Amino acid sequence: MRDDMSPFSAEADPELGEALRSALAPHFAEAFVGRVMTQLAQRQSRSWDEEMAQWFWRGLVAASVAVVLAGWGWTRVSPSPESTEASVASELLDGSRPVADIVIASMSPSTP
Amino acid sequence: MTGVDEEELAHRASRGEAEAYGILVERHAPMARRVAYAILEDREDADDAAQDGFLSAWQAIGRYDPQKSFRPWLMQIVVNAARDLRRRRRVRTADSLDRVSPASRDDPARVVGDLDLGERLRTALATLPERQRIAVVMFDAEGFSQAEIAGFLGIPEGTVKSDVFHGRRALRKVLESVKEEWDER
Repeated sequence: MRDDMSPFSAEADPELGEALRSALAPHFAEAFVGRVMTQLAQRQSRSWDEEMAQWFWRGLVAASVAVVLAGWGWTRVSPSPESTEASVASELLDGSRPVADIVIASMSPSTP
Repeated sequence: MTGVDEEELAHRASRGEAEAYGILVERHAPMARRVAYAILEDREDADDAAQDGFLSAWQAIGRYDPQKSFRPWLMQIVVNAARDLRRRRRVRTADSLDRVSPASRDDPARVVGDLDLGERLRTALATLPERQRIAVVMFDAEGFSQAEIAGFLGIPEGTVKSDVFHGRRALRKVLESVKEEWDER
């Protein structure tokens, strides 16, 4: 402690400072650093797991959307029953098919 | 790697280099633990708070500005962690402060008679109001400026000056009494 130092001084008191550092000196310095670094490593690996989990859910959502879109597209491309019926009828009426007249005759209500 | 500049280490840590951050932890752990102790008055709590501070700093290191000094940036985080822990354990802290009688707060030298210097100083610190305790440790032991301490604690610089003055006066009394004892022997 410097005798010439006023309590109002804006300079640190080196003797008091040294005494305080010594009084508050923490024990097991290496163990503490090891403990912090272990926690840090655990957090990093947990972050990696969390990242993977996040990607899993993102992937699942993307796959679901893809399935829904594919299903919707498939229903749009497949012919409806009405259009199938219409195309068969037009083919039969065309008469160019070899068995068309037989089919038309069998469907006629006047046939005994 | 001991000669490597701190800001450079912090920059490398911000790129995910845990080894660089480990060096920073090693360098600043004693300071962080001492200041956390000044806030919490319990070694285990102080270590928990210092650890929380280092882990928070690691997570926030991307926001650290390498143009500024690393030490005060880290100190602010450690102070916040210690104060946060103190809030969570307020009941325990209040209990430890109750052990010191109001009369002894007026004269810290009176309650530290038969202890060694380290114990006397710790006991004398415990008799100080919390803000004085933190201010005098940060100023005299850790070398932060009064303006920096004011920033850490969110109080005016004039208040820090006053706290350092009162805290220092009480602790010097203890040091003087120890010196007198040594002279008598």
